[in-house]
Parts: sequence; C-alpha cells; structure tokens
Amino acid sequence: MRTILLVALVIAGCGGGLQPEPICAPSLVGLCGTLRFQGTIPDNTDDVFIAAYATFPQTCTDLIANRRPLIPGSVPYTDSVADYSVEPPPATYHWVVAVWKKQGSLTLTPADTALLRVAGYYRDPADTTQSGVVTVSNGPAPGDINFVVDFDNLRPATDFVSCTAQ
Amino acid sequence: MYRAIAALLLVLAPVRAGAQGVVRGTVRDREGAPIASATVAVRGTTLAARTDPAGRFRIVLVPAGRVHLYAAAIAHAAADTVVALTGGDSTTVDFALAAEPLALPPVDVISSRVPHFGERPSTSVANVTPEDIDHRAVATIDEAIAHVSGVQMINGQTNIRGSTGYVQGLNSRVLMTVDGVPMNQGDRGGINWDLLAVDEIESVEVLKGAGSSLYGSAALGGVINLTTRDIPDGFHSTLRLTGGALGDPPHGIWRFRDNTGILGSADVSASYGNDVLGGRISGGDRHSDGYREQDQDDHLHFAAKGRWHTNNTRVDVSGAWASDRYDEPLSWCSRGECDDQGQVYQPFKVDTTELGAHTDSRKAYVTAPTRTTLSPQFAWSARGSWLRTDFTDVRRSTSEYGLSDRYGLAGQIEDRPDSTRTVVVGLEGTFSDVTSDIFGKHTQSEFAAYGQSEQRAGTVRVSGGARVDFLAVDGGSLTAVVSPRIGLSVPTDHHARDGGTLRASIGRGFRSPTMAERFVRTVALGFEVIPNPTLRPETAWSFELGHTSAPLLRTLRLDAALFWTEARDLIEPQVIQITDSTGTHVKIQLQNVVRARMAGLDASVIAAPIAGHLTTTLGYMYLSTRRQLAGDSTSGPLAFRPPHQLTLGADYTLGAAAVGADYRFASRPETIELEGFVDPRRVPMSVLDLRGSWTRGPVELRLLATNVLNYIYNMVPETLAPVRAVTVTAIWSH
Repeated sequence: MRTILLVALVIAGCGGGLQPEPICAPSLVGLCGTLRFQGTIPDNTDDVFIAAYATFPQTCTDLIANRRPLIPGSVPYTDSVADYSVEPPPATYHWVVAVWKKQGSLTLTPADTALLRVAGYYRDPADTTQSGVVTVSNGPAPGDINFVVDFDNLRPATDFVSCTAQ
Repeated sequence: MYRAIAALLLVLAPVRAGAQGVVRGTVRDREGAPIASATVAVRGTTLAARTDPAGRFRIVLVPAGRVHLYAAAIAHAAADTVVALTGGDSTTVDFALAAEPLALPPVDVISSRVPHFGERPSTSVANVTPEDIDHRAVATIDEAIAHVSGVQMINGQTNIRGSTGYVQGLNSRVLMTVDGVPMNQGDRGGINWDLLAVDEIESVEVLKGAGSSLYGSAALGGVINLTTRDIPDGFHSTLRLTGGALGDPPHGIWRFRDNTGILGSADVSASYGNDVLGGRISGGDRHSDGYREQDQDDHLHFAAKGRWHTNNTRVDVSGAWASDRYDEPLSWCSRGECDDQGQVYQPFKVDTTELGAHTDSRKAYVTAPTRTTLSPQFAWSARGSWLRTDFTDVRRSTSEYGLSDRYGLAGQIEDRPDSTRTVVVGLEGTFSDVTSDIFGKHTQSEFAAYGQSEQRAGTVRVSGGARVDFLAVDGGSLTAVVSPRIGLSVPTDHHARDGGTLRASIGRGFRSPTMAERFVRTVALGFEVIPNPTLRPETAWSFELGHTSAPLLRTLRLDAALFWTEARDLIEPQVIQITDSTGTHVKIQLQNVVRARMAGLDASVIAAPIAGHLTTTLGYMYLSTRRQLAGDSTSGPLAFRPPHQLTLGADYTLGAAAVGADYRFASRPETIELEGFVDPRRVPMSVLDLRGSWTRGPVELRLLATNVLNYIYNMVPETLAPVRAVTVTAIWSH
C-alpha cells in the first residue's frame, strides 16, 4: 500500500501541469511587447488583435490567408497601455500589425477586409518610416516589439494592398 | 412471417416436459455474512438467479433429478455442488464461498445478450463492481468507469481503447446500455451519464472492442452495460447525504472568486418486495458551485422500478427522470478576453462575451423487459423502451434547443439444445425522432436481426454470430450493414477451477451517423457548420488476442490483450471553402474522410499480497494510432488519443475501516482536432484520488479526495479538467 502510494506520489509530482504564463514569459514561442493606445475608441469596436506576416501582403487574399496566427486572438484595448503576446510559428516576419475589427463575423475570406482596419504596426527602430523585422525562433521570444495603436487613424486594407472584392 | 417465426420456435423449442422443482437457498461467505449479487446457475441450462442483499436466491423450473449448481461472486472463489431434486418439490442449497480477491468476476447472466454462466468470454470484459462504486463514493457512474484499464473519459465522452476521441459531444463510438437496453441519445448519439443516480446502479460491465454483432450501431469501440439494482424482499430504505468543498486555484494569479466553492447532494430511496411483486422509488438533488468561473450545476432526479414474478416469467418496469441546469464555461479566457491579470490565458475564467451561457436539460426513460423461461433449456425475452432527451443551450447571442425521442422494441430467444451449445436469436427495432432548431426535424429507423451460437468442443469454446442492421433516415432508402464476429476461448490450465484462459476474437463494428452529425446547422469557432445528409456509417474490424493467467504465487493475476482495429469512413469535421454568388466562404462540415488504425496493448494486474486486507491493481494501455485522410497520402496519429495510459489502485481493509488510493496517468495527446484554430495547450493527465470509509451498523461514512494534488490540466482545448475536491458522504441503510 505504502509503495503504491509512494509510486503514485512520485509520478504525480513529475508532471507540472498547466502553469501561469505571463505575457513575454521565457517559454513563449512567439513575440511580445507593449501597445500604446491613442485616439477615441469607435463605438462599433469589436476587437483589436495582432497579426504577423512573413512577407508583406500584396493582395487582400494574402492579407487573410498569410496572416499568422490565422485565427486572431485579442488584445485588451480600453487602457492606454497593454502588454501583448502572439504565437506565430518560428519565421522572420516583415510586418507585425495591430488590426482593429468592427462588429461582425469573420469568414477567413477577402471579404473580411471590410470588417478590418490597420490600426498601427511595428516600425524599424532605425528608420521609423519602415516596418520593422522580427525573427521568431524556438528560443526565447523577442520582446520589446512595441508600437502605437491609433484609433483616430484606422486605415483600410486598400491603403496597403490591392483588393478585387471586399 | 408468422409461419416462419412459429417454425423457428418449433425447431428451437422442443418441449422437454418432465418433473420440475424449485431450488432455493443462500450464498454466504465463510464467516456467514450474506453475499449480494452472487450468481447462481444450473449448469447446462438457461436457469440462473442473482442473490438479494440477504444472499437469498430462488430458481424455478429446475429439472428433477441430480442438479448441478454453480455459484460465483466477485472476489470469492466459485463453488459447484450437486443436489437431488424431486419433481414438484423444492430443495434448499446454501453456499459458503471462500474470499478470493483474485477470482474472476462472474459474467453477468441477466443483461448480457449471451448467457455465459461463469465461463470466460472470448473478448475482454472489465467489471466495475458494487464495491468499486461504493468505495469511490462517486457522484456519477462515469467517474467510476474512468478507473477501468483501457478506458478514458474525455470531457464526458467515452473512449474504450481510443475509440471515440473527442467530437464536441456529437457522437459516441461506445454504446451504453441499461440492463441491456441501448440508451445513447436519439439526436447526438452521446451518453447521459447522469441519467441514472449512482444508487440505482449495481454494477457495470465494460465490453472492449467492436460489439456490433450483438448490439448494433455505436458499439464500434465497445459496450458499457449498467446493471440496475434489483428489488430485494422485505422493506429497505437508504438515505445518502454528501457535502464537500472544491479546491482553489493553486496560483493566486488564477484566483476567480473570493469564497471556496462547495458541492452537496441528498438522495433517498425506499423499496418493498416479496416473492411475487416488488417496487422501489428514489429521488435526489445535487448542487455544485463548480471549480471554475461559470460552472454551477444543479441536478434533480427521480427513478422508479417495479417487478412482477410468476413461476416462470419475470416482468420489470423501470424508469428515471433527470433535470439539469448547468452553466457552460465554453472556453477558458485567452489574453484580452477577460480580466487576464497580464496572463496569456486564465484557465479558471471564461471569455466575458460568453458570460451567462448555460444549458437546461431534461432526460427520461422507461423500459419494460420481460423474460419467460419455458423450459430449463429454452427462454424468451422481450422489451419495450423509450428514451427522451431535451436540451436548451442559452448563449449570449442565440439559444438552441433539441428534443429527441428514441423508441425501441426487441425480442430474443435463448436455447440450449444440449449441454455444449447455446443459441441466441433476436430481432430489434428502433425509431428516433428529433425536433431541433439546429438539427431540424428528422426521423431515423433501425431494424436488426441477429444470431449467435456458442459451441463447446472439448475444453475449447467457440462463439460465432452476425447481425444485420437496416437503417433509414426520414423514410428514405435502407442502408444495410452486416456485422459478423467469431471468437474462441481456451483454458490454459485444465485442472484449476479458476485457471488461465487464452482468448481470441475478430468482429466488425459500425456506427450510424447521428442525426446531429447529418443535419447540424450552427456556428462553431466563428464558422458556419453546415449539414451533410449523405454521411455513411463508420465501420471497423476489431481483432483481439488476450490471455488471463491463473493466479501466480496465489497473490497475483495478470490479464493482457493485444488489440488491433482498422476503421473506415470515420466522420470528422472538415474546414472547407464554398464559393457562391456572394463570394468564397469558409465553413465546417462533418465528412466520412478518415481511415484509421488503433492498435496496442491493454494489460492489467491484480495482486492481493495481504489476503483479506490489501488488494492492489495496475492497468496499462499502450495505444498507437494512425489516421489517413481520404485523397491525402500523408498520415499521422488520431486526435485526442494519448499513447500511454496508466491506472494504479490500492485498497486496504481493517475491520470496519477501509482506505484506498487511485492514480490515473495519460500522456499528452500527440494531436488535437482543428489544430491551428484553437489553443494548442495540452499537458499529460496525472490525478491522484484518496478515499476512506468506516461502517458501523446501518451507518457508513465515506471520505473522498479527488485530484488531491490539485494537478491543473486540460484534456480538450481551452477546457480545464476538474481540480481538487473533498467530499464526505454519510449513508444510512435500513
């Protein structure tokens, strides 16, 4: 009896189970940073999420199909500052963007761009007119991917890519 | 048709007129204590009975002359005796069985489709005994079944040797029967484990592997048969009260409420019976605050059972009704979906947009089985059944409802033409109708005929049979499915009464698509789920080679089985793109797209190193799965199938007190469904339960601590599994 109990306790003690994961935890495979919000939050706001693109999208189809992660998460946007993390697969990303979403259901098709606006993106610290490049590896996550979300300057997809249908 | 049935009866039921008598008596242990639920049978006949709580039994229509009786009980050595019986007279036989923790449990002769009378079946059968249920002080019976080697419960869905996986409650590849009556839901095909209160259930048999040759659809991975308590003679009543507390999150950052969650229940039952009539009523109420945010559960149930017994006929009528209102913590909170305290996820909290989600559910059943023993060699049985399930899912943006009825009729004849052969032939019909805003309004009819024979040839016992099922949806064309099976069992120690047995079997199983799978129209993960009325039945061939050893060193018994299942046309959700005039849309549809293999080793050991005091068990299953999508040459493992599962158990008894421990481990599933669309976090399961009990006269106290280490884990995406709970149960029996 005692042996069985001891074996069980030892085995039970081995696995850690689920653990708290703070934003930018050392175990994170992805990227993380801080968003600073400015402007007035539109009444029809549904969500704000972060997306990463390995290559800069050329079309509305690229904008949806090449988004990582494909299914967007969520970032709290009601405070002036919020930490975020996102878990795209390991790769080098040339555009890390904050996307504002108005109320409505996404369909994972180019038609989604009617619901989405670019609210800000990570910029190259050396040349802030250019988007920054971030490399995600299986090692520690790149932190300090910080940028501004401007609710007063929500830009449609067509400012960045060409769309045949919306 | 009638002529054919009459001819069949004439062939199978030759009149064996002759003097007959009654055998009555008791089954007790060597200390004189009565043994309840022992099986007593007359060898070479269909005659059998089960003892009541006072250990009494009564068998009628026993042929006069030398009568060979057999008695078996769980954890006791079986016994044989021969008595002389005079026609028209009765004789009394009292058995005294020696305690033998390694004894193989007798196979249930009442609700199994094939009477075995203490012989070992050709497939793996695991038993959850009344003691297992009592010791564990569980709230619902699935909590006890989860400790069986090779069985895993994944968020309420039952896996026998990796059969079902997890499919959001839309089907089950395991059939649940109550006293042999199929009880899977008419619409979703799932199992309502809280349909019956634990106090109503006496024992559970788990038949592993494809069982469709006798049980039809859904028995693709196995069958779980619940045997309800019989009504003993005299007046009996029971009061059971349970109270307890739920563990808090182990990390302060996960805290979601200021108080400790509580749970409690109250159950009462009363019965009266005599030789002819008996009846029992029971009812109960259960409440739990839940172990996470939005997890409150309130349950109310009533059950009743009646029996009428004449010389050679027994009629039972039983039914139950249960009502639940439970909150639905649909998915845990990910970053930004709640007050996440700067965490990537909060497993104890839910997405605030899902606050208020709950389900109202009601279910009820009535069954009326009857069995008539026409002669010691021939019996027939019939039953009618009705099962209703009714749910309303209330969500923030919408609500969904479903109402389904499942009506069943069945008849079966059993014949023992001679002492070496048993023949079972049966007909079964089921009609289900569904009315739902997400499944639509549909009907499904199933008609089946089956036959099975067991033949002894020397020491080898061979069984073979087949079942043909005809399925029709909405009155459309019939789909036929044939499910054959053949098996054999060979004793490996001819001299020992309870020696080793080698067994082998191969059989085909199938599962008809549920009406939910065919017709569901809803939204999941933000995508529209569209119906697929053209779904075909899933099918599988199951092979098993197993061995049960004779007791080793008088303290140890091993059982091991190699199993192999080849499944085709498995139904899985697929993400598809549909283009119409408004553009291209992404949708989810269930399709017959998967070929799969499930193979492995299912082994268990029971040891009794201190006879009469300590019993220990160990179960291990290695599961290897391979999944291949139609039209795709790549393959990988099936989702939600942990390759390794381990169960450990120990019970120590000293006089009126007993303590025990159970440990369950399942390795991390290699894959999950819809990977990339849901949070992929998953960890191994590692749960330790402790329990103790103390009995004095009519009062029993039980202490149960589940997940005592408060191990935090999930078995399906974004769904926290139960945390630590400590309960105290007091039972008063009269």
